Amino acid sequence: MQRRTFLATLAASLAPRLTWADIGAPAFLAAGKRGEAFFLHGLSATGTSLFGIPLPGRGHAAAAHPRIAEAVAFARRPGTFALVIDCATGETRHRLTPPEGMQFNGHGAYSADGSLLMTSEVVAESSEGRIGLWDTARYARLTDWPSHGIGPHEVKRLADGRLAVANGGIRTDPVDRTKLNIPDMAPNLTLLAADGTLLDQVEFPDMRQNSIRHLALSGDAIAFAMQWEGDPSEPVPQLGLWTPGTAPTLCTPPEAEAFTLQGYAGSIAATPDRILITSPKGGAVMLFDSRGTHVATHHRPDLCGAATTGAGFTVTDGGGAIWSATDDALTPLAADQTQWDNHLVSLS
Amino acid sequence: MRASLLLLLLATSATADTATVVNGHARPGYAAFDDAASRLADVESCDPERLRPAFQAAYDAWMGVEHLHLGPSEEEGRSLAVLFWPDPKGTGAKAQAALLKADPATLTIDGMAQQSVAARGLSGLERLLYPEKALPADPCPLIQITIDDLARQAEIMAAAWTSYGEILLSAGQTGNDRFLKPEEATQALFTQLATGLEFVADRRIGRPLGSFDKPRPDLAEGHASGRALANITLSLQALRDLAASLSPDSPKTLAAFDHAIDLAGALNDPNLDGITDPQGWLKLEILQQAVRSTRDTAIAEIGPALGVELGFNSQDGD
Repeated sequence: MQRRTFLATLAASLAPRLTWADIGAPAFLAAGKRGEAFFLHGLSATGTSLFGIPLPGRGHAAAAHPRIAEAVAFARRPGTFALVIDCATGETRHRLTPPEGMQFNGHGAYSADGSLLMTSEVVAESSEGRIGLWDTARYARLTDWPSHGIGPHEVKRLADGRLAVANGGIRTDPVDRTKLNIPDMAPNLTLLAADGTLLDQVEFPDMRQNSIRHLALSGDAIAFAMQWEGDPSEPVPQLGLWTPGTAPTLCTPPEAEAFTLQGYAGSIAATPDRILITSPKGGAVMLFDSRGTHVATHHRPDLCGAATTGAGFTVTDGGGAIWSATDDALTPLAADQTQWDNHLVSLS
Repeated sequence: MRASLLLLLLATSATADTATVVNGHARPGYAAFDDAASRLADVESCDPERLRPAFQAAYDAWMGVEHLHLGPSEEEGRSLAVLFWPDPKGTGAKAQAALLKADPATLTIDGMAQQSVAARGLSGLERLLYPEKALPADPCPLIQITIDDLARQAEIMAAAWTSYGEILLSAGQTGNDRFLKPEEATQALFTQLATGLEFVADRRIGRPLGSFDKPRPDLAEGHASGRALANITLSLQALRDLAASLSPDSPKTLAAFDHAIDLAGALNDPNLDGITDPQGWLKLEILQQAVRSTRDTAIAEIGPALGVELGFNSQDGD
């Protein structure tokens, strides 16, 4: 390492880091597009943008450091880089590059103390899943673990440090994202110990074309949202619940709403007593109770991002609006020109 | 006076495209379906021969609005309760078999609303009026209640479009929580055009088309009642009307529609049974390509003309 670079790195690492509270306590992070430009925004609980940091391309999801005002923005799949952004200054602190032959796959999660970042990754040629491990002091690559499946997408850290991994099961072309194995794809939901050891895994042999992609925690259960790659005329659930140690359950909406989500859930969020999934393709959100019984459906085109604030839900759409979602209704909180991207990340 | 002034204000605030679709396409379309369904309900007979013409007319009318997957038709699964297709697992036939054997006294119109959507509506009636094999019980009570239920759904949707149309027309006004900007209503209708054409290409044509080695005319929508090609043609005509209502000055799109509609006419194969012949199969595949090309043309021509795009997230997928 050059002496000057070393000193600069040292200085950067010693500079005081502002916390989320120091910069106005945003409630959420969300990527969005305005005109032809892409941004990562910090949003208040009422949907006001507190900051907007330019991104070099369309973002997918972000992972927020639990304390420091620092976030990792992941590019859309297949991603060859992720940016560690100082949300106080807007500066890019680090540019993360996976090892040769690997690609980021859209999501990541910090450890509870923020010292580690875990990223969903694939071996580019085979889509074999890996979980990359990074030391967040300098964002050095430590190691990677097998994700025990193909095409891992969202990873979610449980309160006790275990890691849930949605292995979507889809092998994709490393360059153009073409899906290569739809007839014999095999998604699973995997639970890893804090050290990466495989603890448990569930899959659905009767529904192998339902890609498990997004996760939320609902009490002791892992709520998982799915995207159906099979015959669009077959009604299949988009939500499942798994409490490790017990059998998973699938949460089927009423028959009249079997096709409302068009087989596609884009995001998921959970409060202690409700689970919400969004479908931009179906233009709807569905709310379920914590046992997986359907409670309500609300329609709005292109809804996708979803997160919790306290006991409530906030959802975002590609038309630029931010909504509060309850059993009764969607209520607009804010509307602007920024088209909100797939995910809304809660900072609470 | 005050009310009419308010209506005038509402009407003028929406973009012209939305107003034309609401008043010239959707509302008349649902009214026509309501009329046709009530005429079917007026036929005092259980004789399939006597019911079939009115059934066919109601089915024709539904094809005029089937592509509008927003508002009243999406509430309480109504569009599925009117036409449940495709049904690859045969859900409708199974649920209906139980209803056929039920005590007729238990068949009430309110009870029908609680039954499987797959057993109801036009596809339910089609199985009763054009049975492929002998029915296990006298179908008369079930025919009558299925027709009454269909007519009721039609009436509810036609009535609900009065208020839902106002929601579209008042897009962007204070108090309208459904459409926050006028162009959101436009975008919602434009999306119906694109997804409607996808449905024609992927399902109405795609399911019977199957593969070159394995055509499946029997899987066509309305095959039992001889409507396979009519459904394709009528939905293309309805979607053309939607396109022309949204953006009348769309020469490329309308020409693409006309080409596809001409190809459908030239098939001269009312139930698509000719696709088991390689020549016939290729002709239907050419029609499918023409419908896909019509969609691409509409997106390229009408989207920019209206200043809207298909959904940012719905088109992305992740």
